[in-house]
Amino acid sequence: MFQNAAIVGVGQSAYVRRPEPGQSTQTFMRDAVAAALADATMDACDIQGLAVASLSLAPDTAVDLAWKLGLSLRWLMQDSNGGSSAMNMLGHALRAVEASAAETVLVLGGDATGLAGYAKVAANFNTVTQKHLAPLGHGGPNGVYALVASRQMKRYGLEKFDYGHIAIAQRAWAAKNPFAVYRAPLTMEEYLAAPLVADPLSRYDCVPVVAGAQAVIVARPDRAPKGRPGVRVRAHRASFNYDNQAGDGLQTGIATFAAELWREAGVGPDDINVASIYDDYPTMVLAQANDLGLVPGNDLARFCRVTVAERKLPLNTWGGMLSAGQPGGPAGGLNGISEAVLQLQHRAGERQVANARLAAVTGYGMTMYRYGGTAAAAILERAE
Amino acid sequence: MMPGVTIWRCTGCNAALFPERLLCPHCHGARFENERVHEATVEEISVIRHMLGQENWQPRRIANVRVTDDLCMTVGLLDESGPGARIVLFQEGEAPYGRAK
Repeated sequence: MFQNAAIVGVGQSAYVRRPEPGQSTQTFMRDAVAAALADATMDACDIQGLAVASLSLAPDTAVDLAWKLGLSLRWLMQDSNGGSSAMNMLGHALRAVEASAAETVLVLGGDATGLAGYAKVAANFNTVTQKHLAPLGHGGPNGVYALVASRQMKRYGLEKFDYGHIAIAQRAWAAKNPFAVYRAPLTMEEYLAAPLVADPLSRYDCVPVVAGAQAVIVARPDRAPKGRPGVRVRAHRASFNYDNQAGDGLQTGIATFAAELWREAGVGPDDINVASIYDDYPTMVLAQANDLGLVPGNDLARFCRVTVAERKLPLNTWGGMLSAGQPGGPAGGLNGISEAVLQLQHRAGERQVANARLAAVTGYGMTMYRYGGTAAAAILERAE
Repeated sequence: MMPGVTIWRCTGCNAALFPERLLCPHCHGARFENERVHEATVEEISVIRHMLGQENWQPRRIANVRVTDDLCMTVGLLDESGPGARIVLFQEGEAPYGRAK
């Protein structure tokens, strides 16, 4: 349990499918920072630390961003763990505040690659991708997770419509999120009729690339705005390169620490009121939820058909990246954290889960070759 | 296209590796010998029907194939081979491909 550090503010920019002239990664980041500072009732001069992750910040780095934002800092980091960057930065920020390296840390993610820019990122993700995958026309992460999805369907007896339950449930949540880029209701008929992108993945199984940014502020709990509870982190764990890519990708690094995470949190999967599970693909939502112990008996089909379809577990209540959009993995991950914070502070508006007190949040990313190699999870709590 | 695909064999523990590593993930040895593998079994396939940022994209097939008991790789499939099919392997540059035997 982090006793002396809490999340005290969240903010985001607009999300757009295609950036307008004049909009860039850094302008979206600026908007998210301004929103988070306002939310935390802080000024920029209150910020002592900055953690940032982005696929499209280069050639600038974290210190350039600090300069452009006018932040003079005593703690600074830049993260490169894709879909688990947000969770990774959150862990570092919490520890920085606990250790008094900084009293307040701004955690920031954002991207505005555009579709062509994202395609370039996907084809040049690492040297292995450049050499061994991109020349095949592998389709970036869509192709990689298409193969993982086929394995998962075989292993767990899943049907295509099972993934549809996740996409449809998240779209219903997105309808209540004014920031989501896709808010129109989605039916199973529409889901099943959507064009295939990379068999068996079809349009609604693949995150839409958007431009945007997210920020959260970590500080001592007493820095939370008056009358609003801070959000504490009961436990946080991360895993990197958990199996040297020697497995099948159906288990994530979360499996290596889940028992320890729950033990430290002092609660169990049944106690969770709301979950933000990193959703670049429904396949990986299921893998992470299973590793986290949210799927009784490893029965993924039942989890889809009952738990998700009947809304028994509020899952990705902002619509997830599948409906709200993915402004790069780092900001996408921060969106899950921000939503958990809003839910626990009972500020989620129309999508508020009644009496939400505990949330599970995950991150997953870095498709090194056959699947992702980084993962992290945390248990968040409303601090009364 | 060259017949076969280069993999790396750890001289310390005999582990088969692809892609290349700096240290063996099993014994952490630093010495490897190249080896050519020529056949594999298709486990899963996908057809890449859409590529971000590309117009006039022609669908391509990729597959996860098992080369040895402890080694899988992703290849471009040059024909209609499906799961369970035995294929021969080729290499163009450093990219692995396969087609039916």
